[in-house]
Amino acid sequence: MKKLDKRLFRMIKNTKGQYIAVLSIIITGIFIFTAVKNSAMNLRDTLNDYYESTNFADIFVTAAALPERLERQLTGEENIKEVDLRLSFDTRLITDNDNERITVRAVSVDKNENKINKLYIKKGRRVLSEKEAIIIDQFAVARKINVGDEIKLNIKGKEHKFKVSAIASSPEYVYMMESEQVLLPDPNSFGIVFIEESYLRKISGSGYFNEAVLTVKNYEQIDKTKDYLEDNLNKYGVIRVLNRDEQLSNSMLNEEINGLDKVSRSIPAVFLLFAGIMLATMLSRIVKKDRTTIGVLKAVGFMDGEIITHYLKYAASVGIIGGILGSIIGTAASGAMTSMYLEFFNIPMLTVKIYYNRIIIAVLLSLVFCIGSGFWGIKSILKINPAESMMPESPKRGKRIFLERFKLFWNRLSFSWRMVYRNIFREKKKFIVIAAAVSITTGMMIMTMWMNDIMDVMFVKHYSEFMKIEYNISFDGFQDKRVLNEIKENISYNNMEGRIEFPFEIENGKYSKTVNIIGLEDKTVFYDFYDSEGNKLIVKKEGILISSNLARALNADIGDRILLKSFLPDGDEKYITVTGILKQSLGINGYMNVDYLSKEFLDKGIINGVYINSDDDIKVKLDNIKNISSIQSQKDMQSVFEEFTGLIAVFMGVMIIFSGMLGFVILYSMTLMSINERTLEFSSMRVMGLTKKEIFKIIMKENTVMSVLGIIAGIPLGKWLIDYLGIMFSTDIYTLQGNVTSKEIITAIILTVIFIISAQLMTYAKIHKLDFMQALKNRIS
Amino acid sequence: MEVMGASMRDVVLKVKNLKKDYQMGEVTVNALKDASFEVEKGEFVVILGPSGSGKSTLLNIIGGMDTPSGGSVLFNDEMVTNFTDKELTMYRRYKIGFVFQFYNLMATLTAKENVELVAEITGSSADIDEVMEAVGLGDRADHFPSQMSGGEQQRVAIARAVAKNPDILLCDEPTGALDFETGISILKVLKDVNIKYKNTVIVITHNSPIAQMADKVIKMRSGGITEIIENKNPIGPERIVW
Repeated sequence: MKKLDKRLFRMIKNTKGQYIAVLSIIITGIFIFTAVKNSAMNLRDTLNDYYESTNFADIFVTAAALPERLERQLTGEENIKEVDLRLSFDTRLITDNDNERITVRAVSVDKNENKINKLYIKKGRRVLSEKEAIIIDQFAVARKINVGDEIKLNIKGKEHKFKVSAIASSPEYVYMMESEQVLLPDPNSFGIVFIEESYLRKISGSGYFNEAVLTVKNYEQIDKTKDYLEDNLNKYGVIRVLNRDEQLSNSMLNEEINGLDKVSRSIPAVFLLFAGIMLATMLSRIVKKDRTTIGVLKAVGFMDGEIITHYLKYAASVGIIGGILGSIIGTAASGAMTSMYLEFFNIPMLTVKIYYNRIIIAVLLSLVFCIGSGFWGIKSILKINPAESMMPESPKRGKRIFLERFKLFWNRLSFSWRMVYRNIFREKKKFIVIAAAVSITTGMMIMTMWMNDIMDVMFVKHYSEFMKIEYNISFDGFQDKRVLNEIKENISYNNMEGRIEFPFEIENGKYSKTVNIIGLEDKTVFYDFYDSEGNKLIVKKEGILISSNLARALNADIGDRILLKSFLPDGDEKYITVTGILKQSLGINGYMNVDYLSKEFLDKGIINGVYINSDDDIKVKLDNIKNISSIQSQKDMQSVFEEFTGLIAVFMGVMIIFSGMLGFVILYSMTLMSINERTLEFSSMRVMGLTKKEIFKIIMKENTVMSVLGIIAGIPLGKWLIDYLGIMFSTDIYTLQGNVTSKEIITAIILTVIFIISAQLMTYAKIHKLDFMQALKNRIS
Repeated sequence: MEVMGASMRDVVLKVKNLKKDYQMGEVTVNALKDASFEVEKGEFVVILGPSGSGKSTLLNIIGGMDTPSGGSVLFNDEMVTNFTDKELTMYRRYKIGFVFQFYNLMATLTAKENVELVAEITGSSADIDEVMEAVGLGDRADHFPSQMSGGEQQRVAIARAVAKNPDILLCDEPTGALDFETGISILKVLKDVNIKYKNTVIVITHNSPIAQMADKVIKMRSGGITEIIENKNPIGPERIVW
């Protein structure tokens, strides 16, 4: 081994505390990058493999009535490869518990195997006979249904018994949600039951199909195919035509994967940035300390390049070790993380690959980053003149610091505090790095606290302040408003309003979006709308209110006229004026007066659902009313959310540890660096009679001032991070918005302070071990 | 006769009208003024002068660590003062060996490793163990500088300079930080090296008794050379007293 390399190893050994500190930040950054990025890739690969093996549809059509012949007619037309028609409707699972209302979606399937959206059998057999059903896995697990069990469904008001022949997964219901409005899957109260096609048609009395799933030859041309279908199936009452990207389960999964992608870029960048700053600072201080050594190396004939390479190897070793360890741990963790995701999303296959190119990228990224920041730290080597380096460096010119101008403040300070401020201002780089690290820690803590609360606030606000709906009842298709009378007869209620919830394609110039428009009664009591400035909005007799995320998607503003296209047969297209833009944290919608909506686009006096606030047990009392497809209660939604909070708690814990670690490691290692450099100064103080405790107090005061400034700067940073998060992570499904509260800020500060104090205590241990007297003796050599 | 005499002598270093000015604020300091002399191969030269007389500046320029404001340095007829940075580095690497007042060893390398470090870059075939023996450190080779006395550290520094077999050994106050006895032992090592390896040795010092062991003494004061003395009868270092 070359002697300089030997020196390098011993240099690393001598600075192991700082070396491990910076290494741990690099490892964490690369670990998050690899773990999250690999999970995203694993998830995408698994999903693609799953979709491919089950021949997942490219287009999903919902219509009023599709005749059987269409299957033959459409195949081969306009980029269409295969067509499968089916019957699908929501119905009720009859259970022994009269108090629960379980909605299941009955979906017709082929007797043997579907062409498209094949089922992935987990238990039992695929072949279906009459009076047999295949149950979707999540629902079977939640409701403890096994192969061989009997289930009862209420189909068209009649009870039908089915023997469970298999438990299966479906590519269409990986993320199993009843509709966009539900937001979170609740496998206990909503499931999918697959029934043999001819038998389902027979018992439901349906002569027609109401859904078609299609595959295409070339996905690039999907828009043309969609247009073709919209035009040609218009006469069959097309309700909506969605491509694979818009399909609910798939789009939710894609949102999740895209979210992971974003995380894999942003959080590691913060860690790498700080590791880079630390590495540059560390190396610049090592080079400063080694000034004479470098001069000697130059004097004995080492070239600048050789000396620079020697020091860069220190940085490179951090990069390589950090990159390799980070990516190995990250890859291992990504397997577990992918499994957790697959469990949550219910994807029966698992494709965990080791992405060697990703590991190489991670190691290279870490290496290039460390070498770059290392070079930044050691570039002063080039300026060292061997002859001058043999002489002691002339002391820095002492000058008054900025604070001394404020005489009133300065004169009141004790001597030790003056010393503290002078030291802080004279080591500006250290001051900036520590303050920045503490502010990032505070900022990230605030963001974490806010995220924890915002999920809660989002749900609580949405389901109790924005919407005040205790029961949301959906009908099978449209009904005359008079159906409300029948409901009124069966229950006592506080409020009841008919409503329409129906998908429309909305266009504004080149922008378009398909969303559910909700038709509400005049002066509805079920919604409270506010704009972003807190002004109350009402649904006017004419015009439309749109959610802020819809306004963004359409690039629409108040007063704009947007084009609404109904999916009904011969449905009208009309321009409607935007009368307001409202704040809505969950979902993406437009709101109109129910009478105006039905008059302009549907038939006068119809509704497809009802909102009820009642103390009655609605689910039981409305059990016998026909045409009700589902009853969703506020309580159901809350219990689903409570399950979801478990996941949030894990995320929070991880975020707190990571952000705290950043502050801890940087404060600890920078203080260590400072102690090592100031050993002579502290030794002189010891000679003058100061105790180790008193010296520690000086360091602690310095760190406290820098940390306090960091914390203060962290508050606006946290707010900025929250805004950034709001923009980056808001989707059609949810909009992250909400003000940060003082409680969140205080909690974040307390957590930050805990990490800072821990780092301080660690440095005290170091000070206690330092032999200051030895430092004085060694002054010459 | 003069020409013949010059050609018969084997001049390794020729310093001609060397000048070095420093700018210190608004004042120009003439650290070196018109210094001229010659050094022959294998000579033991002492440059003597009080502190601030310009001797370290002279040594730094001869060693290629600093550049002059005027004049020239010729090493074996090569104009060192015209060298590029890279050429200066190569000159220091292959032709010059330095011994510093404060030893300047690598604290994290053992004595032997400090010597090997230099041998490594020059590709010198010198037997490191033999060199360590020659400086009297055969049994201390595996010690780190912090485990050695000042005299021992200076011996390592000499071994480090000698191991690459340089043409000229430049020693800047090699006994300056040492007590009398250790100082004498270091001078002995330098003299032994001078005889054994036939290197030219240039020692700068403010300590006038050391001049007695030199073949040539160059006296300096206030940046200029005041006298050059050819010492026909140098004495052994063991006889020097200060």
